[in-house]
Amino acid sequence: MIYFDHSATTPIHPLVAKKVNNINRIHYANPSSIYSEGRKAKSLIEKARTQVANAIGAKNTQIFFTSGGTEANNQVLWNKLNEEKKHIIVSSIEHPAIIKVLKNIERYGITASFIPVNKNGLVEIESVMKLIKKDTGLISIMLANNEVGTIQPIQEIIENTKSLNIPFHTDAVQALGKIPIDVNSLGVDYLSLSAHKFYGPKGIGALFVKNKKKIQSLIIGGDQEDGLRGGTENISGIVGMGLAAEIAIQNQQTCSSHLKNLEKYFLDNLKSNSPNIICNSINNLPGLISITFPGFQSDILMAKLDRKKIAVSNGSACNTGNIKPSNVLKAMGIKNDLNLSTLRFSFGKNNTKDEVDKLLNALKEII
Amino acid sequence: MKETIIIGMSGGVDSAVAASILIENGYNVEAVFMKNWDEEDEEFCTATQDYKDALQVCDILDIPLRSIDLTNEYWDKVFKIFLEECKKGRTPNPDVICNKEIKFRAFLDYALELGADKIATGHYANINKHDNIFQLIRGKDSNKDQSYFLYRLDQSQVSKSVFPIGDLNKKNVRKKADELGFLNHNKKDSTGICFIGERNYRNFLKKFINPQPGDIVSDNGDVIGQHEGLMYYTYGQRQGLGIGGGCGNKDAPWYVSEKIISENRLVAVQGNEHPSLYHSFLTASNINWISGIPPTKNQNITAKIRYRSKDTACKIITQSDSIIVEFNAPKFAIAPGQSIVFYNNDICIGGGIIESRSNSNN
Repeated sequence: MIYFDHSATTPIHPLVAKKVNNINRIHYANPSSIYSEGRKAKSLIEKARTQVANAIGAKNTQIFFTSGGTEANNQVLWNKLNEEKKHIIVSSIEHPAIIKVLKNIERYGITASFIPVNKNGLVEIESVMKLIKKDTGLISIMLANNEVGTIQPIQEIIENTKSLNIPFHTDAVQALGKIPIDVNSLGVDYLSLSAHKFYGPKGIGALFVKNKKKIQSLIIGGDQEDGLRGGTENISGIVGMGLAAEIAIQNQQTCSSHLKNLEKYFLDNLKSNSPNIICNSINNLPGLISITFPGFQSDILMAKLDRKKIAVSNGSACNTGNIKPSNVLKAMGIKNDLNLSTLRFSFGKNNTKDEVDKLLNALKEII
Repeated sequence: MKETIIIGMSGGVDSAVAASILIENGYNVEAVFMKNWDEEDEEFCTATQDYKDALQVCDILDIPLRSIDLTNEYWDKVFKIFLEECKKGRTPNPDVICNKEIKFRAFLDYALELGADKIATGHYANINKHDNIFQLIRGKDSNKDQSYFLYRLDQSQVSKSVFPIGDLNKKNVRKKADELGFLNHNKKDSTGICFIGERNYRNFLKKFINPQPGDIVSDNGDVIGQHEGLMYYTYGQRQGLGIGGGCGNKDAPWYVSEKIISENRLVAVQGNEHPSLYHSFLTASNINWISGIPPTKNQNITAKIRYRSKDTACKIITQSDSIIVEFNAPKFAIAPGQSIVFYNNDICIGGGIIESRSNSNN
């Protein structure tokens, strides 16, 4: 299979896989135990915490581990139930791990406003400012979108909202390893990460919290993770995430330029083969592009590519195959017929030009 | 090169075994799961579990499983008509329309577009090519034969279809599924609207049509009970009328003999031999002949007036857009909206939708 769906998930890095296996075999002791094997497990977790912190310019005390990006997002949003200011502003192109959570917590008195995006999928600062109210207790805007790849001007937005002291969260799940992330220059209060998007294991993520006093546990149980996340730690996942983060940061620049090259090569050739196509990705993450094929249904295109052993996605299909227009593309003003003619290609560090040629040839045959 | 057959995989045992037989016969097999209903309607839609069942089967058979979303087509071409018929107090058969418009139209088009030579389904029926005509033949298991539901297909559809389990009986299908390790080997058969099941039928229908309760009257006009809405009842129905004791003969059960839509009344009669339950003639419209050619006057034909009814010898009296059919003996509970399906021995030759019934030819 030729895999062009790295925004859905990435293959685990071989070194990370090896590490995860070793940990599972050797370091099975409970990190809360006081004997030597327990202490060893604990220290492995702390090392991973430092690795993740370093990857985003945070202190290790500002990181705690969750089961993934979805849980990290949930924790930030559910936390608002405990606070006085119950109005939350989010972009209209957030992942369901934000949008659906808001729908769920509305019944507990949370109110939500959705920031429109422009036709390029970009959040404009004025649109954010317009929605701010006296009881706005959180702004959450993703660092980069998962369907079209748009990188949002988080730093500029925060510079504008800073004086209002509204906590700011960003879902950075798609971004780590593709663009540099520094929590201090961004100015965020919360930031969500997920390991399997940067060649780490699945089922592990992390939340950066600027001030740990400003968050409470969502999964309540033991005192693990400074009491912010109950449940025996997923040691192999945590260690794997730490290593994956370290490798991703080391390779970020080379990886990004490789992805940009593949993207450009693909797009240039695709455009010359099929001048009708529309690229929906502007100011996007390296290697993540959304392309509309007018006159073609995305589900049929995907099935035809799958028959040629090429994996791509349309970004928004659920697992039993109900094809619904993407809310992200809708928010960008893309009409339903074009919306349902759109595919997402997300390249990864292991993809080659040769593989992109095969994709181009396959598309040439299909279109 | 091996022929490619794309099979409609429902998550049930029949299509699962059908796929395994195609593989044994050397075809290149791929599976497609049809989504005809929005699974967010969790109360009635079992698609999420059905998909998992289909996935387990395809994993064992090592064939790809893809999905196709036909919810819009199903709504427009099957469900809307179903609701309109219900509102008219008729007894529609959505599975007949689903086969014509969805499984053997939208799905067939999709499969051919993907590169299939033919499609397959888990129907109990067979296809026989005779003098360049593709004939639809009853399934061998007389208890499961589903040719009734397929009578609206035409040559362009039948010629592109394969029914791999047409020669098997249900027991052997389940046995084979068990041997192959399919978890759905003892899954319950679907009935009624394929995705709802009979148990939920009333609650489901209530979501779309506001029920209008009214009187149940006897054949001499006495009010003998209350009905919950005419759409919930069909001709010849015995269960669920709720007619208490003290009405008529204590021992004889009541049957629905007539629906009077204009008065919102249900007429019930006592005893299954009551003459108003029987008719010798019916008119049917929307006629389809699978071969494209109507049967000749002298051809021996039999007909079924509902899926589970026995074949009865009959004559087609007039032939035009609609037909009049005369039965050799009066038939019990002919229901407008249901299909009459004609057979010549084991060949299903076609049929139509029942419009009305009567006891004389005029």
